[in-house]
Amino acid sequence: MSRPFIFKSELWIPRYTGIMVYSVREFIETLKIIDKFSIFYHMYINIFNYHNLPTFYTNSISFWFYKNGYLLLAEKISIIDPLDYYDLDDLRNALVQTLEKNYDKDLDKKEKLTPFYFIKAEREIIDCERIANTLDQFIEGIKKSSINSLFYHLITSRIENKTLVNDYSSWLLSIGEAKKAEKINKLDLYIMNLYEVKKEIIKILENETC
Amino acid sequence: MLEQYIPFVGEETIFELYLLSKKLKGIKVLHVSSTYKGGGVAEILHRMVPLMNELEIETDWKVLEGDEKFFTFTKKLHNLLHIPCGECIDSEEIVYYLKITYENFKKIDTENYDVIFIHDPQPMGLIIKKRPGQKWIWRCHVDTSTPDPQAWDFLENFLNAYDACVFHMPEFIYEKIRIPTYTVRPSIDPLHPKNIDLSEKEIKTTLTKFGIDPEKPIIVQVSRFDKLKDPFGVFEAFKLVRKKYDCQLILAGSFAPDDPEGEGVYKDLLNITSDEKNVFVLNLPPDSHREINAFQRGATVVVQKSLKEGFGLVVSEAMWKSKPVVGSNVGGIKRQIVHGVTGYLVNSVEGAAVRIKQLLANKEFRDNMGFHAKERVRHRFLIIRHLRDYLLLIYKILHQNS
Repeated sequence: MSRPFIFKSELWIPRYTGIMVYSVREFIETLKIIDKFSIFYHMYINIFNYHNLPTFYTNSISFWFYKNGYLLLAEKISIIDPLDYYDLDDLRNALVQTLEKNYDKDLDKKEKLTPFYFIKAEREIIDCERIANTLDQFIEGIKKSSINSLFYHLITSRIENKTLVNDYSSWLLSIGEAKKAEKINKLDLYIMNLYEVKKEIIKILENETC
Repeated sequence: MLEQYIPFVGEETIFELYLLSKKLKGIKVLHVSSTYKGGGVAEILHRMVPLMNELEIETDWKVLEGDEKFFTFTKKLHNLLHIPCGECIDSEEIVYYLKITYENFKKIDTENYDVIFIHDPQPMGLIIKKRPGQKWIWRCHVDTSTPDPQAWDFLENFLNAYDACVFHMPEFIYEKIRIPTYTVRPSIDPLHPKNIDLSEKEIKTTLTKFGIDPEKPIIVQVSRFDKLKDPFGVFEAFKLVRKKYDCQLILAGSFAPDDPEGEGVYKDLLNITSDEKNVFVLNLPPDSHREINAFQRGATVVVQKSLKEGFGLVVSEAMWKSKPVVGSNVGGIKRQIVHGVTGYLVNSVEGAAVRIKQLLANKEFRDNMGFHAKERVRHRFLIIRHLRDYLLLIYKILHQNS
């Protein structure tokens, strides 16, 4: 018998790291050493905070470059999908490498940029006091889940468990629902918003042919 | 009462609040501020405190008592933290601040609480009463990013004894703060009379009562009569807009009887708009919540053209009514409006005028932005999120060293 699925949720509060930067060079140097939960905040939390709106860029780092007139860097960072990573240091390296490769210091502005404030997420995982042993119970559980709960199971659980497979798909695989698991794992979470994702997941789960 | 928020945030969000509050069972929380009436802090606490109690977190709210001399000094301190203006704090003022603080030691019992939130600088000195094991949080509602050094030194004497401080946004944080610093956005209450749904009939009746034509496009700015809110700039923008658009302007607000500057701004506005039949400068009593609500709901475009702003929650109030807002790129306005998505951020009278025209000309644009504006507030600026942030903050502070 497979293990039950335990529904959890994730809440966080932003904490200022005390570090703000005024130039691209400073940004890159800080990115190399900043607390990894600051990278988590700026790359992942935006999925929660902004992806329900048709914003120009996918994360606050890209937006900062855009706002300061570094459009190339904004685009190059924007396409980095943090969901391709389960290790925050790997994501940090990808960001740093992209910036180092595309940053032309000759184009640097003389005046100070609008500052970038490095914030980190202080997280708390809560148990939602719901479990699922069957697919039907699982569907009911998802329907009752907040988007914070989706955020945890689809996004941060992968970092905690060091895997590219999200919690939902992992459990569906364990009960033999490979097709549903694959479809959910392939959802483009970085482009869709969590409200749409929730509807899409329920649709996949309720579709008997998949 | 919490159930009443389900239509706005969903049952699952309220359920999670209960789950989170279970982790805080048995703790006692105290909020201390400087007034029960007036201002954003009191407005939020009037709702926040009962909600925390409903979650079975025993929460009280007490107010620091002071006289005119004390509050004149704390007002000066507030201003100096906001913008250095060359004024000095003298030793007599410091002694008087401490005297009033000590007098309040007897009146405000802080000993029986686990977590104490001190709102703004006025009651900050109460930290001297801190007992081992207690957690004290300074909740600052002011922009202290560029404080007067003397004012900051005064504040810092107390601040370093706190366990954490909380600001609206990182831009408001002074870089020399060394204690844990969090950012928690303020919020609006969808159940407050100024935010509740109104019938079309009530909106039209209210507009008509003030001589405003509900059928003609309306531009609205709601703010107290203050030069920093730039009502004159709004009027200039309106003059540029009306060259091509037959529209009306409402400048609605109030001024305190003891605020000569506010009265002056109001009179100047009346003077310069006296020949304008489509401009309505309305000085309303402070409790005109439904009227303000009706103006915002009746508006075609809402403007907030402040020259300097704290957080400016009036922007979220308009966004909650599905209105696109044209706001200045300052203070908290830039954290509420997502430029080009929920409204526009502007830097000048001309910028405001062109964005107002764009919105007046295009209903689909307005509807689309208005939709996203409401969603943004639902997601980020309602009191339920604020409450959740406070609960989590309390939990984190209590477990800081574990």
